[in-house]
Amino acid sequence: MTSARFADYMKQDLQTFGMPLRLSFPPYPVVGMPVSVLQQYIEGNDPVTGKPLMQEVIDALTKPVTEEEKKGEFRIVSRPRLIKPDTEDNLRRLFLENGWTDGLPVILPTEERVAEMLKGTSHKPDEVVGEMSITDSEAGLEYTVEKVAAIAVMAGARPEHLPVILAIASTNETAFPSSTTSFGRMIVVNGPIRKELGMNSGVGALSPLNMTNSIIGRAWTLMTINFGNTRVGETFLGSQGNNLNYNNMCVAENEERSVWDPFHVQKGYKPGESIVSLFRGWSVLNSMGATNQRPAHEETVILLKAFCALLSAATLILDPLVAKNLKEMQCFDTKEKYSQWLSENVKIPAGQYWKADLIYAFVLPLAQQGIEPYATWYKLPDDALITPYNDPRNINIVVVGGETNALWKTTDFHYTTSASIDKWR
Amino acid sequence: MDYIAEYWNEVIYKYYWIRRIDMAKKRSKKVLDSVLNPQGLPTHGAKSSSIYLKEAAGVTSDQQGQPIPEIKPFTIAPRLNTLDGRTVYLVDIGFGGGYEFLKEMQGWFSKKMPGVKTVLKRKAGNMFMDDPDLWAEIKEKGAAVVLGVGG
Repeated sequence: MTSARFADYMKQDLQTFGMPLRLSFPPYPVVGMPVSVLQQYIEGNDPVTGKPLMQEVIDALTKPVTEEEKKGEFRIVSRPRLIKPDTEDNLRRLFLENGWTDGLPVILPTEERVAEMLKGTSHKPDEVVGEMSITDSEAGLEYTVEKVAAIAVMAGARPEHLPVILAIASTNETAFPSSTTSFGRMIVVNGPIRKELGMNSGVGALSPLNMTNSIIGRAWTLMTINFGNTRVGETFLGSQGNNLNYNNMCVAENEERSVWDPFHVQKGYKPGESIVSLFRGWSVLNSMGATNQRPAHEETVILLKAFCALLSAATLILDPLVAKNLKEMQCFDTKEKYSQWLSENVKIPAGQYWKADLIYAFVLPLAQQGIEPYATWYKLPDDALITPYNDPRNINIVVVGGETNALWKTTDFHYTTSASIDKWR
Repeated sequence: MDYIAEYWNEVIYKYYWIRRIDMAKKRSKKVLDSVLNPQGLPTHGAKSSSIYLKEAAGVTSDQQGQPIPEIKPFTIAPRLNTLDGRTVYLVDIGFGGGYEFLKEMQGWFSKKMPGVKTVLKRKAGNMFMDDPDLWAEIKEKGAAVVLGVGG
């Protein structure tokens, strides 16, 4: 059974696995409905088929299997390498109407343009880079170096941008995994490639003011649309969407002005390596100059309490002035020390923690399996204080900004993966 | 003489922009025959939603000439003659409201079809995780299962 809102998605999902299961659809939503409403759903009709719901359930379990259900229907989908020839205007319209763009104009990926783009990498055009899907259940679509180059052309990239885009593609991660909650993403680039490409890590680094920051982030979105099999309302079901997906907060870390190790060095890479790191979450809070009245670390404790602390994850994006203040005035010599302090000092009532929907869905099962500290936390009274960011390794810190003010951003993003850019040069 | 210069400036200006517009129109009408399809390629895996095989047996390559591995579709289990006297598992997969909904379904069965025994269970882990122990239990002790509620 799946609620009526996801009927189309479910039907397609079953085709993915070649399983002609029988479906019934109670009305939507089911979550949060009082018992009286759920009883009406049970007693009423399936809104998709119009049939009485319980009779449909009984029929699904008792009516004999049909010949068609025994066979299953299959058909071949064609994916030619080139689009049918047409005028530029018509092709632009085709790209837009087929849902192959982010709604903004793209540069059409002609063979000539893609060949030029491929000069940015030593890898062969037909080398498979990876596969991705925005849903967990559908198989990923494969993409080659040439396909990624085509996307890079569409995004407006130059050949020198291609290794970064290929590195992101090689992670198989999507810019917006399909969830009704609408994920946001962040891309952080470290290493010499930042200067080579003229990336911005200073003033306005997170604003749409730098070509490379914009293009790389946009390319990931276009790859997700085309390689991740994104179809709005069918495979992508973000109820509101997330505006961060336009360029996925693509930014370079300000290694030169940071008082701490760069993020990629923390993850075990050498300072001279060019690395791209990806993060995933939902929300960003701005500090708004709070350090005037209260030190940054104390203010951050307050901000972190606003998030549900899913699996202890947070990412702080600090202006170099904040990092310098934390090191010199508050004695946080390293990012790790600061993460540790936050882990120990952010405390919320257990009741607040367990009543968050995401915690209920993803952490409660761990508590029920006896996994600590969740199992112990679950037994505490509602007003008992817990430290929800129990794993300081999941509190990430990145230094970005132009030192016009000591500001920072607090996010609920968790780190997912890093990939070598140098490999794709 | 100023008005003559002004006149010629206007003529040249108009001619220049007319030419520019004309050239742009010609460019937009030019046919492009080498634009790449940006979409990813189906992987031909057993759970690919983009590749379907017409009459699974006998098709060995797709329209692009790429070989397709043998894919065997699942078939659903035979149906029961009746639910009376049988055990039906109602399994909550973990989405919010699912357990409460199936609890009401259990209540419906006990009122309207008391001859059907229902067992209400929560699947272990979150909604995306497998629960082989529960499936084994259902295979051993149950005759049918209602799994839900997705979304």
